[in-house]
Amino acid sequence: METLRQILSPDFLLRNSVYTSVMVGFICPLVGVYLVLRRLVFMGVALPQISSTGVAVALSLPLWFGINVTEHGAHSEHLLAFVGSTVFSLIAILVLAFMERRGRGLPEGRLGTAYVVAAALSILLLSKNRFGEAGWLDLLKGEVITISNFDLTLTAVALALVLAVLGIFHKELLLVSFDRALAVTLRKKVVLWDAVMYLLIGFTVSIAVLSVGPLIAFGFLLIPVLTVRLFARNMRQFTITASLVGGVASFLGFLAAYQWDLPVGPTDVVLLGIIFAAVWIGHGLVKIFKKERRET
Amino acid sequence: MSEKLITFENLAIGYENHAVMSGISLSIARSSFTAILGANGSGKSTLLKTLLGIQPPIAGKILCPGQAVFGYVPQSVELDTLYPLTGFDVALMGVYGRIRPGGLVSWQERNFVHECLRATAADQFSRKKFSQLSGGQKQRVLIARALATRPDILVLDEPTAGVDVAATHALLEFISQIHQERKLTILLVTHDLPLVRKHAEQVIWLHEGKILHGTVAELLTPQRMAEIFEIEL
Repeated sequence: METLRQILSPDFLLRNSVYTSVMVGFICPLVGVYLVLRRLVFMGVALPQISSTGVAVALSLPLWFGINVTEHGAHSEHLLAFVGSTVFSLIAILVLAFMERRGRGLPEGRLGTAYVVAAALSILLLSKNRFGEAGWLDLLKGEVITISNFDLTLTAVALALVLAVLGIFHKELLLVSFDRALAVTLRKKVVLWDAVMYLLIGFTVSIAVLSVGPLIAFGFLLIPVLTVRLFARNMRQFTITASLVGGVASFLGFLAAYQWDLPVGPTDVVLLGIIFAAVWIGHGLVKIFKKERRET
Repeated sequence: MSEKLITFENLAIGYENHAVMSGISLSIARSSFTAILGANGSGKSTLLKTLLGIQPPIAGKILCPGQAVFGYVPQSVELDTLYPLTGFDVALMGVYGRIRPGGLVSWQERNFVHECLRATAADQFSRKKFSQLSGGQKQRVLIARALATRPDILVLDEPTAGVDVAATHALLEFISQIHQERKLTILLVTHDLPLVRKHAEQVIWLHEGKILHGTVAELLTPQRMAEIFEIEL
C-alpha cells in the first residue's frame, strides 16, 4: 500500500513515466487488435525494433555531421528521436505491407531478418553515441526512463490522436480488414483505409518505442490482444477488454517493479505473459467443464 | 428481350495480364436469374470479381449503371474466423456503403439489418459468433448482409459450397423467392446443374476458354451438353 501511495503521489519522481506507460498500455492493444486480426503478428514484433533503430540513427546523425543538438533547444534531441522513430516505422510498415500483399517469398524470414538486424544495429549505433549514455540505451533495453512534462504532453496528444482516428473510423478499418471484397463493392476507398491503418500502426509503434522502449511496445501491442481473443464474444468486448488488460497490467507492472526494484519493461511483459497463461489455462478448464456437463 | 442491366464488351479477364478468358461479349437482363457454370479454374469467380471491381479487366469494358448496387455473397470460407464478430456484426456491414466515413449507423439502419436477418431466417442465431455458425447459417447471414446493401444485383459466389443438401435446397428456394418477390437481378456461380435447371432462367457457361450464353432450355439439354463436352450420347 505504501508503494501504491508513493506512485500515486504528485511528487513521485517517475510519475510521468507511470502516466506514459499506462497510456501506452491502454492504447497499444487497440492498434494491436488490427495487427492480430490481419495476421501481422510478426510485424508487431519487428516494427518496434525497426522503430528503435530509427531512434538510434536519428541520434547518430548529429554526431556524424558534427552538430550539437542541445544548442537547438531542450527538447530538440527528443524531437529528433521522434522523427527518426516515426520515419523508420512508417517506411518499414509500408514496405513490409507491400511485400506481404504481393505474397511472394517468405514473409516470416523477411520479418525475422529485419528484427534481428534492427536490434543489433540500434545497440551498435547507440553504444558509439554519447547520447546513448543519456538513457536512450536503457530505454531500448526495456528500462523506463524519466520522462519530462513536454514528452508526456507529446505522447498524450499523439495517443489521443490515434484513439480518435480509431474511434471515428472503426467501421471503415474493420470492413477493409475483414472483407476487402465487400469494401470494394461498397465503393469504399480500400487503398486509402489500408494506408490509414498502416500509418496508425507505424505512428503508435514509434510513440510507444520512444516512450517505453521496444520490449514493452511489443508486449502491449500483442499480448493483451492474444489474451482477450481467447474469450471475446464480439469486437466491442474484444477491443475494450484488451485495452483494459493493457492499461491495468502496465500500472501493476510498474508497481511491482518499483516495489521489488526490478526493470519496468521486463516486469510488465512477464506480468502480461502470466496473465495470458492464466487466461489460457482458465479458458481450457472452462471448455473441459462445459464439455463434461454436455455429456452428462 | 428485357432491359439490359450489365453488358460485357469484348472483355478479357485474368490475373497479372495472364488472360483466363477473353472476347466475352454478352448482356444480362434486369430482373433475370443467371447461373454461371464451369469447371474449377474455368474463370467463374474471376468473372464475378471483375464485374464487382475487385480486380481490373485485362481488356474490354463492363457497362453497368453507375448507381447500381451489388449485393455480394462470397463463399463463407473466404472470411477469416479470427474476427470475434457476431452474425449481426457481419450483416451490419451491408449498410456501411450508405454511411459516410466516420458516420454512425442509425437505429433505422440497424432495424433494417434485423429485418434482413429475419427475411433470411438468420435472426435467431445472429447474436452468436459468426465463426461458430454452420455453413448454411453463415450463408444466410451473408445473404442478409447482401440484402442490407439494398442491392440492384445480387451476386452469389458458390453460396452452397460446404453446405449440406437440405440447407442447399432451402437456400436456393429462398434466393428464388426473393428474386421473384423483389425482382432482383441474380448472378449465381455454382456447380450444381439440378439446382440451375430448377431455379435459373439464363446460363453463362465457361468451358475451355469459350463462353456460352443462353437460356436453361437452350443450353442444358442432353444434346447441347454432349456437344459442349464433345461426348457421344
